[in-house]
Amino acid sequence: MKQDEFIKRHQPEWHSLAAWLDARGRPKARERRLDAAGVPSDLEFPPLYRRVCQHLALAERRGYSNLLVEMLQDLVHRGHLVLYRPPPPRWLTIVKFFSVDFPRLVRSQRRAMTVSALLFFVPLLLMIGLLQWRPELAHALFDVADLSKFESMYDPANSEMRLGRESGSDLQMFGYYILNNVSIGFRTFASGLLFCVGSIIVLVSNGVIIGGVAGHLTAIGYGEPFWRFVVGHSAPELLAIVIAGGAGLQIGFALIAPGRRTRGRALVESGIIGARLILGVFAMLVFAAFVEAFWSSIGWMPNPVKYTVGGALWLLIPAWLWRGGRGQPDAA
Amino acid sequence: MLDTLTEVETPEGIALRLRSAGVLPRAAAWAVDFAVRLAVVWVLSILFAVLGEAGLGLYLISLFAVFWLYPVLFEVLRDGQTIGKKAMGLRVVNGNGTPVTWIASIVRNLMRTVDMMPMLYGFGFVAGLIDPRGRRLGDMVAGTLVIHVEKSQRHTSAPEVPVVHPPVLLDPDERAAIVAYAERAQQLTPERQQELAGILHRLTGSQCAAAVQRLFGMASALLGRR
Repeated sequence: MKQDEFIKRHQPEWHSLAAWLDARGRPKARERRLDAAGVPSDLEFPPLYRRVCQHLALAERRGYSNLLVEMLQDLVHRGHLVLYRPPPPRWLTIVKFFSVDFPRLVRSQRRAMTVSALLFFVPLLLMIGLLQWRPELAHALFDVADLSKFESMYDPANSEMRLGRESGSDLQMFGYYILNNVSIGFRTFASGLLFCVGSIIVLVSNGVIIGGVAGHLTAIGYGEPFWRFVVGHSAPELLAIVIAGGAGLQIGFALIAPGRRTRGRALVESGIIGARLILGVFAMLVFAAFVEAFWSSIGWMPNPVKYTVGGALWLLIPAWLWRGGRGQPDAA
Repeated sequence: MLDTLTEVETPEGIALRLRSAGVLPRAAAWAVDFAVRLAVVWVLSILFAVLGEAGLGLYLISLFAVFWLYPVLFEVLRDGQTIGKKAMGLRVVNGNGTPVTWIASIVRNLMRTVDMMPMLYGFGFVAGLIDPRGRRLGDMVAGTLVIHVEKSQRHTSAPEVPVVHPPVLLDPDERAAIVAYAERAQQLTPERQQELAGILHRLTGSQCAAAVQRLFGMASALLGRR
């Protein structure tokens, strides 16, 4: 068949596909216009699209001109973008993600999570212990200005004011915690791509610094206001950093030892796992920032209440990660 | 392949051609985005300054949103285009040519952290130069691709001239070359048209403008015009 006859025979279909894509192809329902005259219905779109795909295949096979092939390529690409777009997210998916999928995902990366927890908590506890025994080592870690800042923040003498900060309102500190802590979480994850090295550095250095501050303040007798302040938000915040580290480490593992996959494939798969983990980390860190800004800073709250709430979070969050989604039917 | 074309096979058995974008247009798109974000942050800082300390908190949250959420939201909700990518005619798609998904967009944008190292997108720049499809590290992990949206130089339709039947039987390749010549002719100067037509003087049996017209006529015949 000569090209002109081919065009004459099939052009009406191409026009109607183009008309449908113009009028109804928008991803959002409210951007789609109502059915107009000459526009095929939505149900006609898939068969119409597949017929045009066949026309493209024929046109290429028969060596029709570039003009025609490019026009059909264009049409097919536009149709492809509409037919294979991802489904919109649903509220139920979000609920199910946090109740079932996220804890399961954390457990499925048990190895990376364990390594990450060790890399973080071992230096942390070590520093706390070390500074009780040799308090002067704090000066090796922090310079004098930093130390005096920490000390003024948790000075028992002025515990009448807000805990754990020099100044600033709750909302201001909430914004600060969001920007600072969530960014640290994201970076902990992303830097795992550097063969795990980035995540390891972030985890260990954060463990040392947090342990150093805690150990120093405890050693000089400022422990009471400090622990009062951190007990509430420590569980979500520290566990989120550990999970972010684990998410980064598993990307590094996929790069170092991809197993029976190509490195590219292994990276993409671990990237999907990592992004889902980081969604959970994001939620945990926002929760932690909320607790830190609006709950931990309340100075007059009696100690038993503070420690009960903090302890409850330390029980509930691991329990959620450990038991969440067990016994539920699989997603598919 | 020297070209930046990536062919992706769709479930319909069609090879989609994606034109992946190189480092320079992407850097330009990033610069436009950066300017937009800077402007937004500047305006917000003025607005929130009125609210005092609470405003500072909101300002920090908006800083977070502009830095981390802006690219993800735009890419997923605006057809794979941030403002800068739209200005440069770029689009983010999944590796198989489908619209970018939430997870993929989150991965590629979080991985900017690594691409930015050691400074000024150093790793991303080197990766983009090495990778045949111009992907930075974040794109490799997310399995995404940044492609050109706008068309390459468009072909125009072959001129309408009286049909001339070729004197000999032509191969499919030769037929395609003659049709392609007629469709591209309007992008060439008359001198270049004649120079190219001159190569086929044994087919056309004529020279200069007449040869060009005869080739156009043959193209018309090959296209099936009457």
